[in-house]
Amino acid sequence: MLPTRHPFSPESEKIRLQQAKYIAEMEYLMYEQMERYLAGKMVAEEKAAFEALLQTDPRLAEQLKEHRTLLHSMQQYGQRQQLRTKLNAIHTSMEQEAAPKVIPMWQVFWKRHAQTMAVAASVSLLSVFGTLWSVQQMKKPVQQQTAHYVELRREVDKLKKAQTAIIKDINNTAKPAPRPARFSGTGFALSANGYLVTSSHVVEGADSIMIENTSGAKYKAHEVYRDQAHDLSILKIEDPAFTGFSKLPYTFKTTESDLGEKVYTLGYPREDVVFGEGSLSSTSGFQGDTTAYQISIPLNPGNSGGPLLDDKGNLIGVISGKQEGQDGAAFAIKSAYLLQIIGELPLATTLSPLLLPKTNTLAGSSRPQQLKKLKDFVFVVKVYN
Amino acid sequence: MKKGLYEADEAVIDGIRSGDDRALAYLYKLHFPMISHFILSNSGTEDEAKDIYQEGVIVFYEKVKSDNLELTCQIKTYLYSVCRRLWLKRLAEKGRFATKVEDAEHYLTLEDEVPQQEENEKRFDVMEAALNQIGEPCRSLLEDYYIRMQNMQDITDRFGYTNTDTAKNQKYKCLQRLKKLFFAAYQAPV
Repeated sequence: MLPTRHPFSPESEKIRLQQAKYIAEMEYLMYEQMERYLAGKMVAEEKAAFEALLQTDPRLAEQLKEHRTLLHSMQQYGQRQQLRTKLNAIHTSMEQEAAPKVIPMWQVFWKRHAQTMAVAASVSLLSVFGTLWSVQQMKKPVQQQTAHYVELRREVDKLKKAQTAIIKDINNTAKPAPRPARFSGTGFALSANGYLVTSSHVVEGADSIMIENTSGAKYKAHEVYRDQAHDLSILKIEDPAFTGFSKLPYTFKTTESDLGEKVYTLGYPREDVVFGEGSLSSTSGFQGDTTAYQISIPLNPGNSGGPLLDDKGNLIGVISGKQEGQDGAAFAIKSAYLLQIIGELPLATTLSPLLLPKTNTLAGSSRPQQLKKLKDFVFVVKVYN
Repeated sequence: MKKGLYEADEAVIDGIRSGDDRALAYLYKLHFPMISHFILSNSGTEDEAKDIYQEGVIVFYEKVKSDNLELTCQIKTYLYSVCRRLWLKRLAEKGRFATKVEDAEHYLTLEDEVPQQEENEKRFDVMEAALNQIGEPCRSLLEDYYIRMQNMQDITDRFGYTNTDTAKNQKYKCLQRLKKLFFAAYQAPV
C-alpha cells in the first residue's frame, strides 16, 4: 500500500504522519464511544449499533473489557481511599475517647507477663514458707533443749496495793500507810549477831530492805556484801530493836552432798512460810554449773534465797532459781560457796568475822519438829525501791 | 450515638448498606480492641494493628456493599478471620513466620473468599502504584473525573484549560498512560 522505495522521502513521511494521525483519531473515537457506552450515555439506537459492532469486532470487545476493568479498578481505589479516610477519622475519635485512660507501659507489660509473674510469685511464696516451716520443724527439738533460767523473786506490788487501800479506808488516820514492797524473796540467818544471806537478785537495786518472820519479828536490814557471780548477798540487821537471835539450830555443810539425798526448804512464795520437800537430783546446776545443785522441789517466785537443808538439818545450799518450762528442776547454790564468801567478808569489809553455829540441834528430830525450830530463822526479805 | 441501635449484626449490615456512617463507626469501635490485642500479642505494633484492622473492615465493607454477603458467622468472627489472614501474610512479607499464633478467638479459613480478596488487594496495589507513577496533573485530573465524578466543565476551569475539548484530550492521554502502566503489572484473571 505504501511506497517503500523511498522510506525517508518527505512524501512518504507525510503519508505516514497522516496515517498515524488517522489511527490516533480512530482510537480516540473508539475511546469516546466506549466512555459513553460505559457511562450509559448512548441513546438506544446508538447503543444497539455499538453492541452489534462489539459482536463482530473482537478487538473492540477486548478493548472495552480492558477499559471497563481500568475504570472499575480506579473507582474501587477511590472508594477504598475514601473509606480509609473515614476509618482514620473514626480511629482518631476513638483514640480521643480513650485518651484519658492511656494504658501505661507497665500495664501492658503486666498484662503480657501477669501469668508468668503469678506463677513465679506463688512458687517463691511456697518455697519461702516451706523453708520456714521445715526449718522450724528441724529446730523444734533444739528449742526444747534451750533452757531459760528463772530467778524466783516475787513481784508483790499489786497485792500490797490492794491491802494498803483497805487499811486506809478503815483507819483513815493521818499516819501515812507504809509504802508497799516492790519485790520479795527469802533469806535466813547466818549468825546470832544479825547476819543473813539471800540471793543477790532479790535485793538488786534496793533502797531499803525489811525482813520479817512468822513470829512477827520485823527488822530493817542492809546489804553488806555481794557476790554477783554466785548470786549471793550478805545482809546485816541494823535495827535498834534487834537484840540478837537465839542459837541457830543448823550448821553449814562444807562437803558436797550426795545424789538422791532428801532435801527440803522453807520459803515465802506468798505471805506465809511454805515448806517444800524433794531430793537432790543432780550435783550440777543449770547447764552444768558445778557451783549449784539441781533439786526436785516445786518452787515459785519468792523462794529465792531460801535455805536448803538435808535430812539431818545441815544447810547444804541457797535456793536461787529454776528452769523455765521444766517441772521439778530447781537450783540451789552449794553451801561451800556460801562459806567461801563468808570467809571473804572480813577481808573485803571492816566487819568482824562471823561466828558460825557449831552445833546442829535439828539432827534426829522429826521433820515437823525440825521446822518448828527452823522457821524463826527464815525471813521474808522485802525490797523497797 | 445511640448504641442500642446497632447491637445486632443485621442492623449493622443494613446500616452499612444504606450508607450510614454511624453503623460503620460503631462496628469499627466495637471490634478494634479484639484485633489490636491479637496483633499486639503476635509481635505487632499499635500502628500495624490499626492498619490491618482497617484493611479487614474495608474487606467487610466491600463485601456488604457488593451485596453478595452470605454471612454464616458473626461479624466478629469474620473480621477476626480476615485480619488474621492479613496479619499472617504481613508477617510472611516481613520474613517472619509466626510459628505459633496466639489465637484469642475462634476463626474461619474462608477458603472460597480468599482468591477474590487477594485479587482485589492486588488490583488495588497495582492501581495505587500506577497512579503514583503517572504524576500530576494527570492523577488529579483522572481522580476528579472518574472517582469524584466531577463534570468536565469544572475540571476545565480548575486546571486552566482553554476549553473542554483540550481537557478531554488531556484526560484521554492520561488515561492511555495509566492503562499502559496498569496492564503492564496487572493480568486480569481469566
